[in-house]
Amino acid sequence: MSSAPIVHEYGAFFELARQNRVIFYYVGYFSQNIVAAMAEAVKLQLEVSGATGPTRRKLFSSFVEMAQNIIHYSADALTPDRQDDRELRHGSVCISERDGQYLLLCANPIEIDIAEGLRQKLETLRSMTMDEIKQAYKDTLRAEAPEGSKGAGMGFLTMARDASAPLEFDFQPLHGVENTAVFYLKAAI
Amino acid sequence: MENLYIAPTPSSPEVDFKFDQHLLALRGESYPENAAAFYGDIIKRLRAYLAGCTGQRIAVNIALAYFNSSSTKMLFNMIEAFSEAVEAGNMVHLTWYHDEEDDTILEFGQELSDDFPAIDFVNQPVRSA
Repeated sequence: MSSAPIVHEYGAFFELARQNRVIFYYVGYFSQNIVAAMAEAVKLQLEVSGATGPTRRKLFSSFVEMAQNIIHYSADALTPDRQDDRELRHGSVCISERDGQYLLLCANPIEIDIAEGLRQKLETLRSMTMDEIKQAYKDTLRAEAPEGSKGAGMGFLTMARDASAPLEFDFQPLHGVENTAVFYLKAAI
Repeated sequence: MENLYIAPTPSSPEVDFKFDQHLLALRGESYPENAAAFYGDIIKRLRAYLAGCTGQRIAVNIALAYFNSSSTKMLFNMIEAFSEAVEAGNMVHLTWYHDEEDDTILEFGQELSDDFPAIDFVNQPVRSA
């Protein structure tokens, strides 16, 4: 039998995914077409997993916001910085499920300069009650889009509104790549 | 004024604006990569049409199963244009379709009807697929 080397090399990886109840994972480049295809896969997976309609919709919504954030903001881009359509950028997303609770995680490199701004924005969101989040969502909807945003500046607010606990985030220095850190974001649904 | 039709894709809705019949519809899912670019031209065409309407009855049907955050903003701008058309002397009847289980889309519809009371607004639940 020649299967032993494969188990030896990759068994731990699959076992870890199983233990963490990973139901969807992708690492690689993100484009709009890739996100639309993943969205289809995620939808199917959630239907099969037996999540209720409202949970499925919240998960799907947060998934799309995370994936499109990577398209728009990951520091690892194959397309020029100025291009704001048909972008191609690198990152990863992961969905896991435990006891009916779903966790959505995403990670992508960012320039260190923007970490502090992200931290402040997310810390502010974390300190808000659900009523305050909904109010901020309404206010932002009626305001001009913030400078530097490629959307409406409502992605984090949308995720915070749909999550069952405050969004969690972290930064990790990326060894060997100057001025770059990995930005992690986690939403529980 | 020429009608506006844009075929749906997995991440953008069908846009079916029959200006000659004053019957405008949006259907599908909306999470294009660049919502401002996608909706920018549509809203421009819509505003040009509305500017030429006086005392007109306009029927609008919006049936979106999902829209992302940047599309939400663009939809708000579109509904604002309808509200202005009512102030200019037209009648806009807007049917807002939402899945009966989808509170997010229902609430957004309610918010639109609160914000733009001039529009004749109907919240229409549809049964879950």
